[in-house]
Amino acid sequence: MSGTSIARRRLSPGARIGLAIFARYATIIGLALMIVIFSILSPDAFPTLNNFVNVLNQASLATIIAGGLTLAVVVGELDLSIGYAASLHGVLVTGLIVHDKLPIALAIVIVLALGALIGVVNGLIVTKLRVNSVIATLGVGTIIVGVAFAYSSGVPIVAGVPEGFLQLSLGRWLFGIPNPIIIMAVVVVGLWVLVERTAIGQEIQAVGGNPIAARLAGISVDRIKILGFVISAVCAALTGALLASRLGSGTTNAADSYLLTAFAAVFLGSATLRDGEFHVLGTFIGTLIIVFGFNGLNIFGAPTFSQYVFQGTILVVAVALSSLGRMLAET
Amino acid sequence: MEDPMAGTSSAPTLVSAIGICKAYGGAQALRGATLTILPGETHGLVGANGAGKSTLIRILAGLTAPDAGDVLVDGNPVVIETPHAANELGMSFIHQELAFVPGMTVLENIMLGLPKKTRFGMVDWRAIAEDVKPIADRVGVKAALGASAKGLSTAENWLINITRALVRKSRLIVMDEPTAALSAVESERLFAIVRALHKSRVAVLYVSHRLDEILDLCQHVTVFRDGRSVSELAGPTLTRSSLVEAIVGGAIEAEPKRATSAASRPIILSARALRRAPKVIDANFDLHAGEVLGLGGLVGAGRTELARLVFGADRADAGAMLLAGQPYAPKNPAEAVRAGIGFVPEERRTEGLILTKSVAFNLSLANLGSLIVSPALPFISGSRRRSLAERVIRDLAVKTASAETAVGQLSGGNQQKVLIGRWLQSKPKALILDEPTRGVDVGARGEIHRLIRGLAQAGAAVMVVSSEPDELPDLCDRVLVMVEGRIVAELSGATLNRQGIVAASYAAAHERNRS
Repeated sequence: MSGTSIARRRLSPGARIGLAIFARYATIIGLALMIVIFSILSPDAFPTLNNFVNVLNQASLATIIAGGLTLAVVVGELDLSIGYAASLHGVLVTGLIVHDKLPIALAIVIVLALGALIGVVNGLIVTKLRVNSVIATLGVGTIIVGVAFAYSSGVPIVAGVPEGFLQLSLGRWLFGIPNPIIIMAVVVVGLWVLVERTAIGQEIQAVGGNPIAARLAGISVDRIKILGFVISAVCAALTGALLASRLGSGTTNAADSYLLTAFAAVFLGSATLRDGEFHVLGTFIGTLIIVFGFNGLNIFGAPTFSQYVFQGTILVVAVALSSLGRMLAET
Repeated sequence: MEDPMAGTSSAPTLVSAIGICKAYGGAQALRGATLTILPGETHGLVGANGAGKSTLIRILAGLTAPDAGDVLVDGNPVVIETPHAANELGMSFIHQELAFVPGMTVLENIMLGLPKKTRFGMVDWRAIAEDVKPIADRVGVKAALGASAKGLSTAENWLINITRALVRKSRLIVMDEPTAALSAVESERLFAIVRALHKSRVAVLYVSHRLDEILDLCQHVTVFRDGRSVSELAGPTLTRSSLVEAIVGGAIEAEPKRATSAASRPIILSARALRRAPKVIDANFDLHAGEVLGLGGLVGAGRTELARLVFGADRADAGAMLLAGQPYAPKNPAEAVRAGIGFVPEERRTEGLILTKSVAFNLSLANLGSLIVSPALPFISGSRRRSLAERVIRDLAVKTASAETAVGQLSGGNQQKVLIGRWLQSKPKALILDEPTRGVDVGARGEIHRLIRGLAQAGAAVMVVSSEPDELPDLCDRVLVMVEGRIVAELSGATLNRQGIVAASYAAAHERNRS
């Protein structure tokens, strides 16, 4: 409002264009720089095919949950329940397989369906009861924590996890690519096509851009918003199941930290290539930045605290870049 | 009226903008525009949409920076970096979209952003009220200073904004389309205030498309066309025809002859006892294929509310509608669109368009079904979307750098064309337009009228809501006049004229007040 923000200053057209280019490409340049610097500093450990496959594998779960969150923010809402939900789904899928002896595939289908249900609940609370999405999903997320504790009594389910379930995340398929990378690729491409290339995707973008105008253009805004929450929650469920498979156990808070990673990735992504607009491809690049950063810090043996500092800094920088892009687009 | 032709060339200028250039993306909004305002004068600024008026105001207000050119206040060059700096220089701005905080009192709204008297470190509202009261009275603020600003009319908000400008001791008040949202009575009140400001030597920059007001109020008028100041008129050269000529840059095309009575055509939409109290009470009407039906009346008479009921944006308490003979009770706009109704809302920027998205995106929103490759493959065909957008841009002569330009960068008239163009492809049975030419210049207004007539000739049933009594007789085959939620008169043929509409709007109101 004060109007003295960077984008509003009296800038020469050249400086303005330079700033706009910086805002759009800073994240990609940052990613490239990071890879170059890590490669120079650690030429033996970092720039190897094995490490890159490893990083992508690390990034796959974060990308899936952040990709889902992208759909929620594209329709103009926030979903804070995804981390807790992913933890619950991890506990639940392990329990269904270990205690109830359900086939692995059926157990996964059940948690994905439960994920969809959580998304519908979030969406109905936000659209029909008109509760702000931050509050609604925080409330639902807290209830989910309670459900996870009730189901597992807070005790991790470790013993008796079958090899088949572990292979879901440890196994390799086509050309020896780890399964999570393949699943991530399918999710990212699927979400990208949905948002960018389908009629529903156009409606999703319109609802996020101006819900009143979208409604008066004949779009069912509530239904589109609920869809955004459902996709977000289903992706969280998938992430939870894959994480349980990777860890070989179901723990009640295993996936909680994915919430922050997903938000940082989504906002980094909105500052990538487009002027502060959320989009799936951007989220993917955002996740890569975060995971490459963690990977580099690990290789150099940086202390644990630095990872938190890194992630917090990334989140703030990401949102600043995103709003800089938006301001430049508006003036 | 007195003619303070202080305009001898040696007179000191209050504010002047010289050779201002400004580009937004690829579009050049101002190309060396010049504007000179003398102390205490009421200066008119007119021009077609996209002529650059709003951009110049944004520059004076410190909302955007010019690429080139100088702004002088009292003859001294200034750089206006923020709205605050503009206020410090003695300028106040009353924009079309009024800024006020509904949760605060009238007095708090007046003092918004102004330095406040304090007592023991706390704001001394009593002392402030004593200072403000005489100014508010002079302006004619009817609401009590301590009352909540919630629910105040647009007109009252204007008065609050003018009061704020005077409390701030502004020497120039810029008014952007002041009467666009005011009724005739409220407008008269505003004119009296503008005249009083002139008497007390406060300059006003009066931006309006309504030439009668400009001629009535202003001593000097600057005309903008295509980002340049093409003409400055005063005294004997200031006439309606000279203004129109300067704005359009040539003669205006005559509008096509109106179609004959459409009453014999089939009824597309009929409403019986439609009600949403207190704004719409027992509305009955029939809308025929191929006709343009006007909805006239004063601001707040319930016309927009009636249009929203038909479009399903609000739901009726009672009554029934038939669409092409079938019962029709839309629960939301999506159902209305599926049933074959299109709607162009009143507030194009906040209700109509997605400003950050491209022209093509906005055009395609109501036509997504026709753009998908096949029902089995629900993907949007990029080439089909582009060709749709390019056809509409060509047919409607939309001025835009390309189909991929963000629609927010277009001028008001061109944004309005995009909004109407959205419905051309889907060929709705009935199209409802709410204030289709508000804030649109003479030239674009003619184009939009031709477009609306063309839709009706192609067989659509069209309903137009307008606050301008002049517009409806030009455009419509029949006009219904609403007063306080009721349809009180139907005008057509010989009775359809400006006087008839105004008389019906006021006569009925008068009668109701007496009873």
